[in-house]
Amino acid sequence: MGGGGRWRAVQGGACALAMVASLAAGCRSRDRIVVGSKNFTESDLLGEIVAQQIERRTSLPVERRFHLGGTFVCHQAITSGGIDLYVEYTGTAYTAVLKHPPVADRDSVYRTVARDYARQFGLVWGKPFGFNNTFAITVRHRDAARYGLRRISDLVRLAPRWKAGFGYEFLERADGFRGLASVYGLRFASPPTAMDLGLTYRALADGKVDVIAGNSTDGQIEALDLVALEDDRHYFPPYEAAPVTRQSTIQQHPDIAAALDQLAGRLSDGEMRRLNALADVEHQDIATIARDWLRTSLP
Amino acid sequence: MTLWAFYVRNSQEVLGLVGQHLYLVAISTGAAIVIGVPLGILLTRRPAWRGPVLGVANVFQTVPSLALFGFLIPLPFIGGIGARTAIVALVLYALLPIIRNTYEGVAGVDPAVREAGRGMGMTDWQLLTQVELPLGFGVILAGVRVATVVSVGTATIAAAIGAGGLGVYIFRGVAVVDDTLILAGALPAALMALTADGLLGVAARRFAWRAE
Repeated sequence: MGGGGRWRAVQGGACALAMVASLAAGCRSRDRIVVGSKNFTESDLLGEIVAQQIERRTSLPVERRFHLGGTFVCHQAITSGGIDLYVEYTGTAYTAVLKHPPVADRDSVYRTVARDYARQFGLVWGKPFGFNNTFAITVRHRDAARYGLRRISDLVRLAPRWKAGFGYEFLERADGFRGLASVYGLRFASPPTAMDLGLTYRALADGKVDVIAGNSTDGQIEALDLVALEDDRHYFPPYEAAPVTRQSTIQQHPDIAAALDQLAGRLSDGEMRRLNALADVEHQDIATIARDWLRTSLP
Repeated sequence: MTLWAFYVRNSQEVLGLVGQHLYLVAISTGAAIVIGVPLGILLTRRPAWRGPVLGVANVFQTVPSLALFGFLIPLPFIGGIGARTAIVALVLYALLPIIRNTYEGVAGVDPAVREAGRGMGMTDWQLLTQVELPLGFGVILAGVRVATVVSVGTATIAAAIGAGGLGVYIFRGVAVVDDTLILAGALPAALMALTADGLLGVAARRFAWRAE
């Protein structure tokens, strides 16, 4: 979701302008807060959590503009004032919006995007929610237990006898398979099978391949009894989610920043996986998932 | 990078993928003919089966390819990942036009002609091979033509399950937002579909001319 989402996100560029125009025309009045989200489950969930948190902690009415085309649509919408805030990923902002080459250090990526967004766009990065939705090298739980697999380094000695199946995005991207293979010295029995990302989960669960690259917060990982291995050499760039808000909105309503700060560090990878699974695997309503989570985590 | 420069630089790979694509289409359309034509003929002899058989073939048409792959992966013999699974899916998609047109072609033979054949003492087999199939051939071929052209397009989804073909460029291009890559896969696939349609069209005209 996140991985596909990040780039599906990028593809929305073409229809961005038309949507932005309609958004900007629709909500010029500043008496309510407009929250946006990108077009995949996790973004909708985070948008809903942020929206409900603002409703709970301030007296401001919130309007939801969810499932927008993707990164470019959300970015154009927020810079033009069509929306006041949405949840973005540090790595996406760093590479897709600011066009920096990928790097792995969490703090420096966050500092750079926070600084550049403030300077270039008048946008404020809030504190990250805590989880990191990056690529996750994933194996069956059964194999992890049998061979004592915990980290990607543990995989190196088994790989020559194992088969891998990867999505096209992971095989093509600068921060994908080629770099991973050289950083860890990974060699598989045969060249990895290139296939649709969603199908790699099924192929792994059904034993057709032994290793895949999923997304670390994907609900499928737990639902199919899979395990994500730790990236112990810190190869993958960080994709930490955090709310991005217009500076002018925060100046008018400082209590929004306070409300968003309460969400900082509250969502671990496992917790985000669980919420995604509630939506994608158990098909629960997003508003209900957000309400239940806020009620138990931030009473 | 322009499309032309891409092809020049990757000519080996392009030819390999075109080959895989042709292989997927040829095997799957061939199998669909071997299964679909006898099945279509059978329906003319057992009219009660017509509804259920065409219904099932219809349903396969409506199942999205990724969902179909999802169902096929766990199955023994016909499932797994790779060319075999892709071919099974392509066969299922190609069956409907072939079964339907075979049925229409054979059932659509003028009853008077069929009666004349019977009057001459023809067995059912002789009636089929010497009267009904030759007369219905044009309609059957039209079904094969539709199935082939559709297969060339549908075979691009084989890349979703590790079976290669021109869809590889399309999937890669979508993954990294590269229009040149997408075109590099889509353009030869379109040319291939047009060529197949043209060749089968020539075959159909040849036949129509001979039948007169």
